Amino acid sequence: MPATAGARFLDPKVLARIENLELLARTVVEGFINGLHRSPYLGRSVDFAEHRAYMPGDDIRRIDWRLFARTDRYYVKEFEADSNSNFLVLLDASRSMQFSSHGISKLDYGRYLAACLTHFAHKQRDRVGLVTFDEDVVDFVPPSAKHREAVLHALDRLEGGGRGELRGPLLKAAEASRRRGICVVISDLYEEPDAALRAVRHLARRGSDVIVFHLLDPAEVRFPDDASANYEDLETGERMPVVPDYMREQYRALVAEHVAALERRFGENRVDYLLIETDTPLDQALFHYLVRRQRFDRVR
Amino acid sequence: MGFLAPAFLLGLLALSVPVLLHLVQRERRHTRVFPSLMFLRRVPHHSVRRRRIHHWLLLALRCGGLALLAVAFAQPVLRGNERARPLVDGATARVVLVDRSYSMSYGDRWTRAQEAARRVLDETGAGDVAGLVFFGEGAEAAGPLTDDRAVLGAALDEAELGWEGTRFAPALKLGMRLLDESGRQNRELILVSDFQSRALDGLDEVLLPAGTDLRWVDLSETEARNRSITEVTLQRVYEGGREGVAIAARVARQGEEPGEPVPVTLELGGRVVGSRLLDLGDESAGTVRFDPVPVPSLAQHALVRLEPDALPRDDVFRFVLAPGRELGVLIVGRDGGRRTESLFLRRALAIGDRPRFDVRLRERLALRRQDLAGAGAVILNDTPWPTGEAGETLRTFVEGGGGVLAALGARGVPAGRDGFPPELPATAEGRVVDRTADWGGNLAFLDYDHPVFEIFRRPRSGDFSSARFQRYRTLSAPSATVLARFDDGNPALVEIPLGGGRVLLWTSSLDTLWNDLPLQPVFLPFVHRLVAHAAGHVESPAWRRVGDVLELPELDEGHWIGLNPLAEGGLVEGDGRFVRLEAAGFYELRPSRDEDEEAVLTIAVNVDPGEADLTTADPEEVAAGLTRVGGAASDGAALGGAERQQGQNGWWFLLLAALAVLAAETALSNRLSQAVR
Repeated sequence: MPATAGARFLDPKVLARIENLELLARTVVEGFINGLHRSPYLGRSVDFAEHRAYMPGDDIRRIDWRLFARTDRYYVKEFEADSNSNFLVLLDASRSMQFSSHGISKLDYGRYLAACLTHFAHKQRDRVGLVTFDEDVVDFVPPSAKHREAVLHALDRLEGGGRGELRGPLLKAAEASRRRGICVVISDLYEEPDAALRAVRHLARRGSDVIVFHLLDPAEVRFPDDASANYEDLETGERMPVVPDYMREQYRALVAEHVAALERRFGENRVDYLLIETDTPLDQALFHYLVRRQRFDRVR
Repeated sequence: MGFLAPAFLLGLLALSVPVLLHLVQRERRHTRVFPSLMFLRRVPHHSVRRRRIHHWLLLALRCGGLALLAVAFAQPVLRGNERARPLVDGATARVVLVDRSYSMSYGDRWTRAQEAARRVLDETGAGDVAGLVFFGEGAEAAGPLTDDRAVLGAALDEAELGWEGTRFAPALKLGMRLLDESGRQNRELILVSDFQSRALDGLDEVLLPAGTDLRWVDLSETEARNRSITEVTLQRVYEGGREGVAIAARVARQGEEPGEPVPVTLELGGRVVGSRLLDLGDESAGTVRFDPVPVPSLAQHALVRLEPDALPRDDVFRFVLAPGRELGVLIVGRDGGRRTESLFLRRALAIGDRPRFDVRLRERLALRRQDLAGAGAVILNDTPWPTGEAGETLRTFVEGGGGVLAALGARGVPAGRDGFPPELPATAEGRVVDRTADWGGNLAFLDYDHPVFEIFRRPRSGDFSSARFQRYRTLSAPSATVLARFDDGNPALVEIPLGGGRVLLWTSSLDTLWNDLPLQPVFLPFVHRLVAHAAGHVESPAWRRVGDVLELPELDEGHWIGLNPLAEGGLVEGDGRFVRLEAAGFYELRPSRDEDEEAVLTIAVNVDPGEADLTTADPEEVAAGLTRVGGAASDGAALGGAERQQGQNGWWFLLLAALAVLAAETALSNRLSQAVR
């Protein structure tokens, strides 16, 4: 049975009608969890941390009766939270992310994905944070257990901006986040594979696990247009005449080669990579993240 | 046959375009945005294919359409149409545009400007007409164009310097209109100015008809030196329970070498109360701070002054020092409640000086009419609207312009509707929403256009999303304006107008019982804005700028009268509620029925500090910045309106024919392109 069996698949275009980002994240994540038929949180270890004097209102089931027998005082066992790693989403908000051929732009898809992953991570009690960037860091919400709303708020107010660049912003983000954790990069990766890897490696060097979601619009992958036109680069404004009939096959080959190179280079450097087209349900990315998250827990 | 606008015949060159298009057929049809050309650039492409002409008919239609368009715009006039000739051949109309902005008071610029304008007017020949336009930010003609030099000379002698900044565009537009009305063939505009670079604003909108000459007289000096006060800041301070104001002035200089410190003085009510030496060093601007001065009991004239230099009008900065208006706030708590119940509100309102809040506490049952005297807003903190006479009193207070902020909370619902204004929603029917199970709700919608939330509009200027609301009340108020909503759609804050005032209903509490908003950084500014808005409080500025028009408060009876010449001259005739602030200085007004000193309204007005920047632009740059339009305007403008209409009737038919041919071309090319697909 495929891993996604039973999970609901929501068309991103349907999700786009939900204006409230928190509601959207809940809709997707709760539906996704229900579809798994088992909680993704079960089976996780809870480590004993310390004893604390019993306070009225504490759950009496947590009283350590052995200690009571020895000391004649009530003590409550405290456990470390199930998880308390940093979870940082780095969302590319450059102008190229505003491209859309079917109603939902890459930036919107990225926002939904970031919101869902944040909600998901927050439910796992991770400290959630957000970096949005174009050629520089646009907004930074430092990872914290209390920053779920701040992240959703920042995503809600996010607007696409200038030219895109990975290296500078990711270096800044790596310097700003001092604790290891999980970093999720959401970008359309219009950079040479080696340059993209160099940028992402700043995050990995800090000991963080890095997952790269490569967002592309279906039109960027399949290049379905047949009408010749002046194509204008969204970021640079540069124009060039394009006759799709003549260029389609070579373009597709170049994109496939780029994706393969990214996958290979990231794989060699232990960076997780997943290509997502913006017409695919968000659940696919969530599954990928969940699998990676569990692996991360095991390694830790 | 002649043409009124022969320059448009150059459009016939466009006939080569369809021929080239037919020979070099580019496949590009429209522009399409694409995220990146990174991969497309690597693909060798062939977008240009040379072809032979296949569609002769299409080519003929395209060429014909373009030719007809070009000829139509050239406005052909048949021979023998005498009305198409200019009325006054050879005569010249000349308009002198004289800059009278306050930067022209620098040195002897104004005298030189008058002399230069007089010389230009003296050059006017017999049969020619001339006119004068004086301009600053706006422009004003001295009268219609005339050949009477004496009239123009008198207008020039009587002209006075203004207090405004400079803009060329209005003067040029007015000058061209006067020239157009003159009916003369030869037209000249002469710009007499110091050519400040800021005057070029909006120049790209000016269309200068071909045939109109633009000349200029540049009065700027090579090295202009100026010192000016660009800004004064007033900071309220409270020391030993006394209110004072710390005054700081920003001084800028231009063109001066580093030298001696600059003396700056502070005057209150005409008396020097402070003096400082500002050492600017190598900097071009610096700030001088005076010791805090006590706030006078009545509004008082105040000014910061520099030693006069070559441009004295920007060396004085005027402002009004008035006692801070304390905003009376009455917090009504529940009967028998503890004083600590309004702790967060009291602490928040104890901070802040714009405005300063005078907070008093009352229990609901102890509320009396006299308690409302001096209060701008009443906060019903977790207590229902008072019943009986107190309720009616509160209602009258709101209808008279006061405001009520009701935090509904656990106990803020009325037991009945006794005294409760019928315009307000029946909050008693609202149930309590308990969100403790899902860690509380949060605010999902804020109306950032509303004055309460306006300051939180920008990113990182206040985060309401981190506040958690465990409980709040539902509210059904279809006629109310909802200013904030929770994430489940329930209203959090609504505004209901009531008479001349307003009632704001906050559906949760203003303490930490039902939410943790009071623990968030946004609580303090939020409460300040909320209470100030409820009280209808508006900050009045300490000074205004020349050029503003001020609306005076409405009077129950009588009208406003000016107490000094400035104010008298500035009052706009009519209902006397508007003052034009045309010159810098202090304007003093009072209601005609009120003769006591406290009713005097004082307004300080300063010049635009931007005009103190004497950086100049090259007059050639000004001329180049103007958009010149074809000969149609220059030749055709000499005709009278009706004659012009008749002389150009033919071009309409050509234009219609061109449209018909182009429509046929569109139909044919569509058919051909469909056939190709």
